Amino acid sequence: MKTDELISLMATSNQPVDTGWLRRATWLAALLAMIAATIAVLLTLGARRDLAGAWATAPVLGKLLLGASVAGIALAAFQRSLRPGLSPRGHLSLILLPIAAAVLSALVVLAQAPAGEWASLTFGRSWQACLIAVVLYGLIPLTAMIAVARRGAPVDLRLTGAAAGIASAALATIAYSVHCPEDTIPFIASWYPLAMGIMAVVGALAFPRFVRW
Amino acid sequence: MSLADLETQLHPVFLSALAGDAAAYRVFLEAISVRLRGYLRHQLARAGRTEPSEVEDVLQETLLALHLSRHSYDPASPVTAWAHAIARYKLVDHLRRSGRHASNLSIDDEAYQLAAPDTVASDAGLDLTRALQSLPERTRKLIDQVKVQGCSVAEAASAAGMTETAAKVAIHRGLRAMARILTKRNAP
Repeated sequence: MKTDELISLMATSNQPVDTGWLRRATWLAALLAMIAATIAVLLTLGARRDLAGAWATAPVLGKLLLGASVAGIALAAFQRSLRPGLSPRGHLSLILLPIAAAVLSALVVLAQAPAGEWASLTFGRSWQACLIAVVLYGLIPLTAMIAVARRGAPVDLRLTGAAAGIASAALATIAYSVHCPEDTIPFIASWYPLAMGIMAVVGALAFPRFVRW
Repeated sequence: MSLADLETQLHPVFLSALAGDAAAYRVFLEAISVRLRGYLRHQLARAGRTEPSEVEDVLQETLLALHLSRHSYDPASPVTAWAHAIARYKLVDHLRRSGRHASNLSIDDEAYQLAAPDTVASDAGLDLTRALQSLPERTRKLIDQVKVQGCSVAEAASAAGMTETAAKVAIHRGLRAMARILTKRNAP
């Protein structure tokens, strides 16, 4: 086939194109995946017993704020990374701001507590459970992100995957907060960001395999 | 023509193409393929590949990718940068697939700024033709009529007993299937 023929074929069958679709698909898929992950947490682990009284307290709101801000930034970077020629790196590095804010708050809390309590404030009773849960429930949004990315044109699959992984862990943070019984800032500032880092690696490894186009 | 001039010229043209203007889309594709051919020829030569048909194969795969990724374009961004990023991705993918280690690739982005236009289309290899052969007969016939016989989509559609829109959708699906076949060819 000649290149001219290919050009004719593509030009004559041209149809109007919706350039906003990827953006809408990203946000909608993230919202639905977050709801699905929350339902999965409720069905498998159940809500924390004191959820009715606890949801409006600072630690729970802190988890939601951390999850929502990191998810928002990572999803915006993810969406940009599906569009060739735009560089999402600067956008993605903004996730360091909410994480730094969480870590600073944790340091303030630790500084005010006696040294003997530092370990219990940081490790709580369920840090392994938190790590495992955020990573596992994060696979639900990660699958949705793979489906969206396959309809985009990511030219840096590792970066797209890392952004998707971070966003997925952040969405799972929100979902898991209906169960997570830990209410100390040092706990929140340690294990949730670590889970986000793990998911960034998972995404960076998975996307070159599943999204190549 | 400098890259900035090309951008000034092609940006409004591509926006019209995205709105459905077939003539504008043809102008865009012809102008960008001249630019991309020069870029790809230069980069492939640096990788030790001087076969003109290989340049044309990668160019065709890139054009197909541009076509199928039009919705990924951000209207506020430079269209030449968008096209270049896709060409670069397809070039790296092509070299990796055809047996070069990715770490040996020296793809430099400045080359795109300086790439000499290349209007001389060589004969492509058989990649795209083979991909076309593997489509379902009905779609292949439709594409053949529009491509080789120069029919309008409306004419080809009525010959096949379908509406023009249905024919465009069928052609689009056919092109997507061809792109998928190209991606899987020689997959590692």
